[in-house]
Amino acid sequence: MEALTYSDFSLGLHQKMLDQRLPLEGTIEVTHRCPMKCVHCYNNLPIGDQEAQRKELTVEEHCRILDEIVKAGCLWLLYTGGEIFLRKDFLEIYTYGKRKGLLITLFTNGILITPQIADYLKKWPPFSIEVTLYGYTQKTYESITGLPGSYERCLRGIRLLMERGLPLKLKTVVLTLNHHEIWKIKHFVEEELGLEFKFDAMVNPRLSGARTPLEVRLKPEEIVELDRLDPRRMAEWRRFSEKFTGPVHSLRHGERLYQCGGGDRAFSLSPDGGLNVCALSPADAFNLRKSSFQKGWEEFLLKVREKKVSRRTKCISCEIKAMCGMCPANGMLESKDPEGPVDFLCQVAHLRAKALGIQVEPHGKCEYCEE
Amino acid sequence: MNDLTKCFLKGSDFATRSILGETIIVPIKEGVGDLNSIYVLNELGTQIWELIDGKSTINRMIEEICEAYDVGPEEAEKDAIEFLNSLEGSGLIQSISRTA
Repeated sequence: MEALTYSDFSLGLHQKMLDQRLPLEGTIEVTHRCPMKCVHCYNNLPIGDQEAQRKELTVEEHCRILDEIVKAGCLWLLYTGGEIFLRKDFLEIYTYGKRKGLLITLFTNGILITPQIADYLKKWPPFSIEVTLYGYTQKTYESITGLPGSYERCLRGIRLLMERGLPLKLKTVVLTLNHHEIWKIKHFVEEELGLEFKFDAMVNPRLSGARTPLEVRLKPEEIVELDRLDPRRMAEWRRFSEKFTGPVHSLRHGERLYQCGGGDRAFSLSPDGGLNVCALSPADAFNLRKSSFQKGWEEFLLKVREKKVSRRTKCISCEIKAMCGMCPANGMLESKDPEGPVDFLCQVAHLRAKALGIQVEPHGKCEYCEE
Repeated sequence: MNDLTKCFLKGSDFATRSILGETIIVPIKEGVGDLNSIYVLNELGTQIWELIDGKSTINRMIEEICEAYDVGPEEAEKDAIEFLNSLEGSGLIQSISRTA
């Protein structure tokens, strides 16, 4: 018997997968409802949204689906929302998943965590918990969440989890509203709390199509400046670029539209049972209320996965596409085009490449190459 | 001298998964095993694991190992004992004595 660290085990298993298609990693949104009204969020609905609540999968439906995804080979499962602890029955769903041998990560805003919930999680520890800390000060934090008192409640939740030694990591989304505090947040989390911290500045339009989150999105040059000011971040980008830069695909007959893990080793489930390749791609979902996960994975998601690129764009032979984050989901949200370049992402990628000293080869008519 | 009539029971605070032909044991509750690790069983380990059912003795496990791997009883006993000790040490199983 070999006792492996999770990272060694994960590496070995993914290497073993090779060309096999297996739903190893899942994301389940238990609700889109949330007590907070974060300005940048792509999916939050009010807690009192009764229609949304009525449509959410029941505990029994969740358990049936958990049986099916475990049978199909799922191992790593992320529970997210909305806010997961808004559902009073969440721990029942969670425990069922734990008993099935799933390695479960929880994303939460932390404000609904009570001593009882923290005690329960200590008894049934998750693989990981990630809490978002939107600001160093109450004023900044609550300017984003729109909920008075949420700052103190978040810190309380963090303390409750830390006191019980749970596997907690903190993170933030960098917006125009908290940009000025990012290094203070980082210092607080890493030096005062002694926890892992990460941040991201990528913000999407809402799933509904509303573009309000983009009003607080940083400019491309501000995003790349964040990289430049953090040596560790630059080093990570450098490693990433060494591994993944190069033409992603050429317009050969039959080239696939999806290049990520969605539908290949990962899937996502919406609160009302819609199965899809990822949480940002909810259109035309496969309804697991009416059919099985096996059918959804083997038929529906396979068809999605096998969709082909239909035209030549400047993305096709762009050597930094992996750094760009352009994908069909992002394309649909930003510009209703799953194949066309997302201007914002394109600009960030080119600025980032320049900061890393990467020479981007000509790849069609690209204004950011010409700058 | 090992008591080869012993049987073992699996604990209840972990789950067994089979992924891509590998058997893995996942601790699920506090205080069981090492929650920072995941236990991966090779083919022999999987075979013995399946015999940890409260009824199969170490002798039975030795017989199966000899048959499956074409090894002698001494080597099979050594492998079985070593494996069972590691499982017991990690808190994944407990021994029960068979009454005469």
